[in-house]
Amino acid sequence: MPPAIHPVDLLRVLRHQRLTPAIVFLTSRRACDEAIASFEHRQIPIPPTRSAAITQVLEKMITEYPSIADHPLIPTVQHYGVAAHHAGHLPSWKVAVEELMRQGCLDAVFATTTLAAGVDFPARTVVITQSSVRKDRDITELTVNEIQQLAGRGGRRGKDFVGFVVVTPSPYIDLGPIANGLTNHPEPIDSQFVVSYPMVLNLLKAHTIDHIQPILEKSFAQFQLNQRADAYETKLDDVERQLEAYGQRECADWITQWQSFTLAKKHRSHHRLKTRHDPPEVSARLAFLTPGRVVELSKDHAIVLRQYRSRGQGYAMLTVVRSRGRIVEYPANAVTAVIDEVVDVAEARKFPWCTPHSLDHAIETLEHFPTRLRRLPIRVDQDGTTILTETLSDEFPCPTCPSRPACQKDHPQALKLRQEDHRLTKTIHALRTELWHRFQQHVEVLQKFGYLTPACQLTPDGDWARLIRINHSLLITELIRMGAFEGINASLLAGVLASIAHDDDRPASFLGRHPALASTLGQVRKIAHSLSAYEEPPLLRWDIAAIADRWIAESTLPWSELIRSTTMAEGDIYRLLARTLEYLSQLHGLRATHPGLADVARDAMDLIRRDVLQELP
Amino acid sequence: MTHDALATQLADLPVRLLHHLAKNRVPRHFRMGKNRLIQSLLALSPAQQAEVATALASLLQEPARPPKPEKSAKPKRQPDAPSRQSPPHQRHSAPAEPAISTKILFEGIGVPPPRPFKPDDWQQEAIDRLATNDVILSAPTGSGKTYVAVEAMRRAIETEQTVIYTSPLKALSNTKLTEFSQIFGADQVGILTGDRRDNPQAPILVMTTEILRNLLYDAASGEIDMRLDTLGLIILDESQFLADPERGVVWEETIIFAPAQSRLLLLSASIGNPDEVETWISSIRSTSCHLIHHRNRSVPLRAAYLDPSGKLAPFFRARDIAHGKGFAFHPETKRLFANYEDQTLGPRYRR
Repeated sequence: MPPAIHPVDLLRVLRHQRLTPAIVFLTSRRACDEAIASFEHRQIPIPPTRSAAITQVLEKMITEYPSIADHPLIPTVQHYGVAAHHAGHLPSWKVAVEELMRQGCLDAVFATTTLAAGVDFPARTVVITQSSVRKDRDITELTVNEIQQLAGRGGRRGKDFVGFVVVTPSPYIDLGPIANGLTNHPEPIDSQFVVSYPMVLNLLKAHTIDHIQPILEKSFAQFQLNQRADAYETKLDDVERQLEAYGQRECADWITQWQSFTLAKKHRSHHRLKTRHDPPEVSARLAFLTPGRVVELSKDHAIVLRQYRSRGQGYAMLTVVRSRGRIVEYPANAVTAVIDEVVDVAEARKFPWCTPHSLDHAIETLEHFPTRLRRLPIRVDQDGTTILTETLSDEFPCPTCPSRPACQKDHPQALKLRQEDHRLTKTIHALRTELWHRFQQHVEVLQKFGYLTPACQLTPDGDWARLIRINHSLLITELIRMGAFEGINASLLAGVLASIAHDDDRPASFLGRHPALASTLGQVRKIAHSLSAYEEPPLLRWDIAAIADRWIAESTLPWSELIRSTTMAEGDIYRLLARTLEYLSQLHGLRATHPGLADVARDAMDLIRRDVLQELP
Repeated sequence: MTHDALATQLADLPVRLLHHLAKNRVPRHFRMGKNRLIQSLLALSPAQQAEVATALASLLQEPARPPKPEKSAKPKRQPDAPSRQSPPHQRHSAPAEPAISTKILFEGIGVPPPRPFKPDDWQQEAIDRLATNDVILSAPTGSGKTYVAVEAMRRAIETEQTVIYTSPLKALSNTKLTEFSQIFGADQVGILTGDRRDNPQAPILVMTTEILRNLLYDAASGEIDMRLDTLGLIILDESQFLADPERGVVWEETIIFAPAQSRLLLLSASIGNPDEVETWISSIRSTSCHLIHHRNRSVPLRAAYLDPSGKLAPFFRARDIAHGKGFAFHPETKRLFANYEDQTLGPRYRR
């Protein structure tokens, strides 16, 4: 079985069931183009009357948008009544396809899901072939809203009794999400508020810093944050009510008091626990078992290298070197006698716990010891454990406090509640002030760069910088302030702005390298990199810059020639140039303060706007 | 146990036990038939095969198991057990109605006779409400939101007010410009883009939301007048862009800074929480906001499944798509899709 139905067969089935016109959503632009191409191979034309109708509509569209006159897809559309509609096409072509669809001339349009919102034409049937889409090099499942957006194109008001969604499998499909998307209620939407530098500058132009917080509080973001904060507030009230239920105790902050008391008790009892293991004779000896001390181990002599506590039970342990250089670990109570002799041992932090030199020295000394050595007489202290409770009651009133039993009983629960209380209070505070904090962070950056005075008023630079209201605004204003655009020509300016504006990493190639462009872009990249702590640097692709540069530098270059010089789809180039126009128009808006730059931007705009870029406003 | 011995033993087992063996070992085993199950069990790693063999031996040793599964199955069948919350697509285990046939699915295709256009109640309500309130209109695609926009514009320009209509995409702006020019006449509609102004003195202005936001900022700092005092109506199309990760903030800014005297009309595709947006807008604007949440499509929608072999089947058991009530696949669709997966997930097409 093929992994997916052949487009021609698909259309045949749809026609047979009277399900045309249809919009077929495919996974990629290439799939759309291939689907169209496959009709040419199969040669199943539509009746001539319908071809004539299509030609008629197309002719009308061509008079309006001359650029589609020799579009390579026109013969296919005329003969087979199908078309492709995706972001790789020129807007004028898309308008023509939409018009054909509205007139009911086409049987099927093959479109990509990525631009479902831009597909503004209905059909009787929508064909869905995928349940996941590629987004930013990642494959994500379609959301309920997206599936409903796709399915919503099915069924034309006033032209259909009923609309259809036809699901046909492809390697990118699972039926569950699609069925879910078709039958579920749409998902709620969440605010995506971001604070940007132009936003800060524009707000501070019109309002003083004292008035900003109320404005931010009007945002949907804060509204939703407040709702979450309110939910936490009710939880907090609940927790506080539970805490109040414990009533008054002797001390004001009994939870902390009891906690530090138990901690102190635990700490000391732990300490006691360790020493308690040692029988009195061992603990008396421990003070002498320092590195270098000679000891007797079952009639044999050894030299102590280190003393430590075993990790589990806290037993006193020794590492010793015995005869023939054996390094062995023993519990301290294995020592039968401590000898009145200390060898000079230089300690080290890791095995063998002393320097190699002193180890050699120790081994040598050990070999030459006489068999009998003087033992140290060690007095064993039988007492030493009764001080603890006394010191604790000196520091804490708890041991004698009347509410001690109640504290002891309630403490674990109360402590948990109070931690919850603190956590909630913190969260609520964070939610209520989050936007304001983000705003302040941006204010600080703008003050650092000198767009704002310390009193948060716009400096002369800030006053024009606020007019740059696009992505990467900080980079662009910094470039202007550094004079990077001084004496620049129109094509170079457009090239730089195009590479700043373009944020798609879809591969494209452009032959030929432009030295001036490359060096300018290199400078821009350096500056963008230095700003990367404050603003995400743009891709700054030189091939993108070169396309825009060429379109402006060669003012007689026809569109078809530009398309041929790169592998980018013409729809993408169109969008790139349209965005560049937008960026240029922002620079043109600076004519009051930067007349020279504004003029260059104006020239560049005039030069961009020709051929297909003139067709649509 | 050798590979072949295991194969013959598996072949003798009923499918139910095969599924039992395949559970947690073979992904999507529930979609497979007997042969595929045996194949995939045999294709497991040697260690897993040994596990299967022991599990199989223990299964064969206790043939007196039947009472137990019945016991465990019984409580599951209680339909009203409150603790059990099955995902919607599992509800097809107890179908209430018989599945529809393909013939019924495709009944009634056709073009309705032209009827004089009569606005629906919700459309009329939206237009009327707009006289005094801001309005959010959340309705499925293609249910006639544009009609409301056009009528609202008509009323606004009759009282000599300016209307701004914004859309998220330039392409949509162009479409709307053409559409409105045909309705109101070309001299009544202008368009503003980042670099161009066509007929900016017209009472109806089409632009992208970014442009409107910029205008509002300029107005706030007192630079241009932009006839904001005569601005009577702002229509934000595709308002669900409020949740767009990159551009959503522009919609928020626009709504926050929209002049107090102009009415807002938010047109949105179906979203889950229009009431939340409504409360928000009511809380920041001088007049309260009215929500019109129209859930039904004007043209009913049905779903079909098309197998790559060219066979069509109903997608769901029921003919019309109902929202929020779970779903059940049509048995034929289930069968065809399982078949499709069996064949395409084979070695040749394995991804």
